Amino acid sequence: MSAGSYLAGAPVVRRVRGYFAPVNRAGSLPVIFDAAEEGGFALDSPPAPWVSLGCIEGFARKAGSKTAAVMTGIPAAVLEQTRETLDAQVSFRFLSWTKLTMGLATGSQHMNLLATASGAGAAGDGGIAVPAVSLQTGATATFLPMAAADAAKFAAGQVVAVDVDYAGQTGYVGSPVSGAYLKAALTDVDYVRRVTFNVARVASVSTTGLMLAEALPGGVPALGAKVQAVAGFVDREGGSFFQEWSGLFVMEGGQGERIFFHYPRLQAAGSAEEFADALDAKRGGSLQRVVLGGAFRALPVTDPLDGERVVCYRSFLPAVGALV
Amino acid sequence: MQNAKDSFYVELRTRLVAINPARTVLLRSAVRPGILVEEAEGPFAQLPNDVFVLRWLGLGVEQNLPSTMVAEECEVLYSTLGTQSYGGLDRGRALSAMDEELVEMLTPFWTPKLDYTATPAVAMLTKIFWDEPVFGQVTATRERMSRSARVVVYSYLE
Repeated sequence: MSAGSYLAGAPVVRRVRGYFAPVNRAGSLPVIFDAAEEGGFALDSPPAPWVSLGCIEGFARKAGSKTAAVMTGIPAAVLEQTRETLDAQVSFRFLSWTKLTMGLATGSQHMNLLATASGAGAAGDGGIAVPAVSLQTGATATFLPMAAADAAKFAAGQVVAVDVDYAGQTGYVGSPVSGAYLKAALTDVDYVRRVTFNVARVASVSTTGLMLAEALPGGVPALGAKVQAVAGFVDREGGSFFQEWSGLFVMEGGQGERIFFHYPRLQAAGSAEEFADALDAKRGGSLQRVVLGGAFRALPVTDPLDGERVVCYRSFLPAVGALV
Repeated sequence: MQNAKDSFYVELRTRLVAINPARTVLLRSAVRPGILVEEAEGPFAQLPNDVFVLRWLGLGVEQNLPSTMVAEECEVLYSTLGTQSYGGLDRGRALSAMDEELVEMLTPFWTPKLDYTATPAVAMLTKIFWDEPVFGQVTATRERMSRSARVVVYSYLE
């Protein structure tokens, strides 16, 4: 030890914070996190496009990579090692149910339950919806301008989905978050709004439009975007779509040191799963907290530094004054 | 946290009036429903009979959630001497009646959270909710029979 520095022990952490950012599926572009440049960010306000999902519990990393020995000589001895497979999984539990945590935790497609039109037939993921309302010019991420008669169709407290009409496109659907992959064209004009992650709660309604209580995840609505009321959310077990997100997990130590686990590409592994934890196990109460379980498989990216294929970056920012 | 405690008390008081309007108490020259919060009254040498007394005990805070959750344990104490007309021989029946009233008062297990520092009280965004009560054993001191029940009340800070 010397003046102004000390020998630091292992970081002591209380919780793990989780952040996710949408991968551009069509362009296969994950979100890269630079710990050197951005590692000091305020944990409650991560740098864009990362979205904080708060604390998570049961964070567990599992490396599935396998190595093999290259043998030579008689008797055979290990000459060198080679990496046979590259695989990693990460799992944890979300402590809240939101559109985003449900979407991340499901192993399949996640959709909005659009408010159904009067007399609509029953459907597992929502029947025929109340027709969407067009936006006027001047929309922002928090304000949706519309005609007074259209605004009167909504109420404060409602959740709304904001996105464009479906126009027969195939491939990845939804922007900036791909919520589905269509192999064949559909006829449902509301399909994009069914799968969009661009949802928010209405704070107030006026004759000029809707003021939102939170910014739309997609920012300013796209040209031609329309608005529909959302009753809730639904995901399905089965299907062929896999969610893919960039993931960032942060452990902050008691001395201010930080450990980052950055997975550029995480795909949902397994099906939607919930866990019930006793709220007061010591007392034996009957209340249980239902939390979402999330399990993901890390997919590789090519590191432009040297062309190596990797699945996770682990970074460590030492505490101020700690000897390294 | 005080909003949760206030809301719990006022809701139980409202329910008690509906369940048994005859259960009243004379306190500071006013006839009130027979339920009170111990910490909000003058000190008692002995808790009044035939009245539900709320005593707040433990406190737990969970900060890892998106909104901080607070758990507060409330002990509900009640005792009875029975009635004079039966010479106190009905004290067991009277205590059973109070047991049933408490179970009814605690059902359903939630109520909206209101801010009672404003007049009229202002509805807040979340609800408070509680677990099932855990009843203690009956204790007898001469002709006085008493019981307490504990319930954990949960709320979110807002």
